[in-house]
Amino acid sequence: MLRYVIRRILMLIGIVFIISIGSFFLIHLLPGNITAVIEGPGASPANQAKLFKLLGLNRPVYEQYFVWINNILHGNLGTSFISQSSVAGTIGNALPIDLEIMILSQILAFATAIPMAMRSARKPDGIVDRIFSAGSFTMLSVPPFIIVVLLVLFVTYKMGIPHTGPSSYVSLRSDWVGNLESMALPAVTLALGSFVVYFRVLRSDLIATLQEEFITMARSKGISQRRIMWRHAFRPSSVALLGAAGVNIGGLLAGGFVVEYLLNIPGLGYTLIAAINTDDYLLVQGIVLVVSVGVVLINFIFDFIINIVDPRISRE
Amino acid sequence: MSDVNEKLLVVSDLSTTFATAGGPLPAVANVSFDLNRNETVGIVGESGSGKTVLSRTIMGLQPRTNVTVTGSVLLNGNEMVGAPESFKRGLWGTEVAMVFQDPMTSLNPVMRIGKQIDETLRVRLGMSKPDAKARAIELLELVGIPSPKQRYDAFPGQLSGGMRQRVVIAIALACSPKLLMADEPTTGLDVTIQAQILNLLDELKERLHMSVVLVTHDLGVVATRTSRIIVMYAGRIVEIGSTRDVFTNHRMPYTRALLESSPKVSNASHTRLITIPGRPPNLLKLTEGCSFAPRCAYATDQCHQDRPELRPADQPGHSFACWNPLPVTRGELAS
Amino acid sequence: MSDIVTTFELEELSLVEKPEKKKPLGPLFWICVFWIVLNIVGAIFANVLPLQNPLYQDYAAINAGPSLHHLFGTDDIGRDIFSRIVFGSRVSITVGFGSMLIGFGIGSPLGMLAAYRRGRFDAIVTTFMYILLAFPAIIATIAVLSFWTPRSVFKIIIVIGLASVPLVYRVIRTATLSIATKDYVVAAKVQGATDRRILMKELLPNIAPIGISFLLIGVATVIALEGTLAFLGLSVVVPTPSWGNMINESRTVLQQNPWLAIFPSLALCLFLLGLNFIGDRLRSHFDVTEVKL
Repeated sequence: MLRYVIRRILMLIGIVFIISIGSFFLIHLLPGNITAVIEGPGASPANQAKLFKLLGLNRPVYEQYFVWINNILHGNLGTSFISQSSVAGTIGNALPIDLEIMILSQILAFATAIPMAMRSARKPDGIVDRIFSAGSFTMLSVPPFIIVVLLVLFVTYKMGIPHTGPSSYVSLRSDWVGNLESMALPAVTLALGSFVVYFRVLRSDLIATLQEEFITMARSKGISQRRIMWRHAFRPSSVALLGAAGVNIGGLLAGGFVVEYLLNIPGLGYTLIAAINTDDYLLVQGIVLVVSVGVVLINFIFDFIINIVDPRISRE
Repeated sequence: MSDVNEKLLVVSDLSTTFATAGGPLPAVANVSFDLNRNETVGIVGESGSGKTVLSRTIMGLQPRTNVTVTGSVLLNGNEMVGAPESFKRGLWGTEVAMVFQDPMTSLNPVMRIGKQIDETLRVRLGMSKPDAKARAIELLELVGIPSPKQRYDAFPGQLSGGMRQRVVIAIALACSPKLLMADEPTTGLDVTIQAQILNLLDELKERLHMSVVLVTHDLGVVATRTSRIIVMYAGRIVEIGSTRDVFTNHRMPYTRALLESSPKVSNASHTRLITIPGRPPNLLKLTEGCSFAPRCAYATDQCHQDRPELRPADQPGHSFACWNPLPVTRGELAS
Repeated sequence: MSDIVTTFELEELSLVEKPEKKKPLGPLFWICVFWIVLNIVGAIFANVLPLQNPLYQDYAAINAGPSLHHLFGTDDIGRDIFSRIVFGSRVSITVGFGSMLIGFGIGSPLGMLAAYRRGRFDAIVTTFMYILLAFPAIIATIAVLSFWTPRSVFKIIIVIGLASVPLVYRVIRTATLSIATKDYVVAAKVQGATDRRILMKELLPNIAPIGISFLLIGVATVIALEGTLAFLGLSVVVPTPSWGNMINESRTVLQQNPWLAIFPSLALCLFLLGLNFIGDRLRSHFDVTEVKL
């Protein structure tokens, strides 16, 4: 067991390392003259050249990379030229927002998917199941950005709650009710997508588990259906659910960005896109790195949890 | 007929039909028999004879969808057919319990065995946690598991096949049911262990005053442990009577074929195993007439055209379904 | 007609010949096929169809609702929504199928080869691919596309196509692995069919169904991705219609003109639904081991 953990951690470090290289070169290999942007329009070539040298951009790429990595290991992700604020700080401000959206959306998703999947699994192909399954399959085909647009349409049009305009985000600290209000749309949008995945996975796994002999035996003991579902069927099926959750959450981090951007919520996604639009390459680099590492970390944690729940999996 | 209330189990004209993609499948058809208290009855037949479906239907454990059950099953006066699940649940464990065939799949692999026994006690008898645990350990001891206190925390995967089956028996007996359905309880276990488990069952049923329905394809198993035997073929009863009658005075050729085809220790070594020619019928495409006729050495035209009903034989309680039965013999095939 | 008979009961009744027929595709399947084909045909022949000019701005009819003249109404600068949707389907469909062509064109042969050959080739390529997979593709796509101007459908196809290679590789490799270890393949090998081409005759036909179903689902995903990119302003440039573009444009006039949001959304979702449904049905049709659920 310990060997397994150590092996995975080493892999983790290796992957993170490679990702850092990837993020760095991705940005640096792209066209775009950073000095022109910083100096602004009408900057003279001479000034640009000076700035170029100042920023160390004339040094070979791999040297720049090592400088960057070195800084990171000292906790310094650099200071953005565009915004003049520390990259780490910007990220630090934006990250908790993403986390909150994620947590809220996942709670919503699980809280709806689990009971509904159980209901469906109990009577497969029954009316309830057909509706749920057809509904969730349809939802699969509706990308998050459309969900956002339609939800906004519904909310503003039908319910008359204005929701356009600049940042409508309210931080948790200042007003938690307002915070939940502003988080509601993004959380629901992401929850819908996650719900679909969780529902389908759990339903099909539960149906398979319910056909096992030990379920019949449990029935024969005179135990209630609810107890059988939760205590006997859910446990083995939760493995599949966890697996799906790991993959899904990993993707959410990246995919939820668009939703943020659309709803003017200043999370990492919003920040990233704004950074791209302003050619703030240092910030982009930092965000790409943080997000990639985050995704890898999440996958790692989930693998770990799955392993604890069902040790049979670690023997690959 | 004796008072119905005296009998523990009365099965009348029971039929179980599955709705499959290929059409209706009559797994069990028109089965009737009864069982007294403290009696052990054996149900024998090949795979596909419907014996397992029968045992599950009697208990009410058949799947809930795409299955039709007609007829009546009176368990201690309680009608099981058509009863809602909640009603049946009230009887499961306390009135009737089942021992399943494969302990590896019938025990929850990720739950400790102690807990699996506890569950029954706490849910059905309302015992407290410590009481349930104590009783569970008692039960483990009762079924012959050494060091029950330690084994209490074991997972099924950590036990041997025989041990697991003992656990299954312990679970079944936990609430002292009056009827135990044992569905091929020893198939798949080592031969030496088989005897142990069967002996354990014998012992327990004496001590706890239980009736047992023993379902198996192995005649050796039922020879000495049952008072009556039901022979099934293609979902129907083809012969029923006391164990002695079925072994020595059987009339239905299938019964004889079954008896002859089981290997006997008394045979000389390298004796050819007699097999029954042909294969059991496809239940989806049953023909008219007796289901065994295509394979029967004594089949007549009538056998192929009309299906025989159960007719009483000379001995009381003994009936068979055959147009062309074997002649009455005296002690030809001693068990 | 499904049967939830427990596995044990099926074994007991195993003497009954289980119907060998595959699960029927169903009428809904063919309706979806028809719908997809209709869209594709529409996209190809958009020029010759009797549609309004998608670029013509009719200032007399801004934000008009559906009418005989403008089947789906007009957008905020008077362009006919219906024809823009049909023309817009070109972008989505080309991007969808184009990038999947690249992804599968590169990913499948690599995946099959790696799974079949195993050994060093497999180890190196797979590790490489898995590392690429760890990198969130969407972010890379966004980053690359935002810097690689001026934008064009061609560039989008290349970027998304390349980004999808690792995933295709993994799926095809896994599928090939599970088939390559099956007995009949091993048997063929032992019989001396050392010619790799012959084995491609064994492997390929078995992988094709899974591959095609995954391809279709991939197309759906890419089309959704294009929509997302459009929202970030990273898809095709504005006068050219694309479904994502139109939905994006609708955001500013949401209250005055909900049609601009609804119709392209419907077009997109229905197309995706069709693709997903076909892909899913194909998968369950060919997966004989799956108990019908």
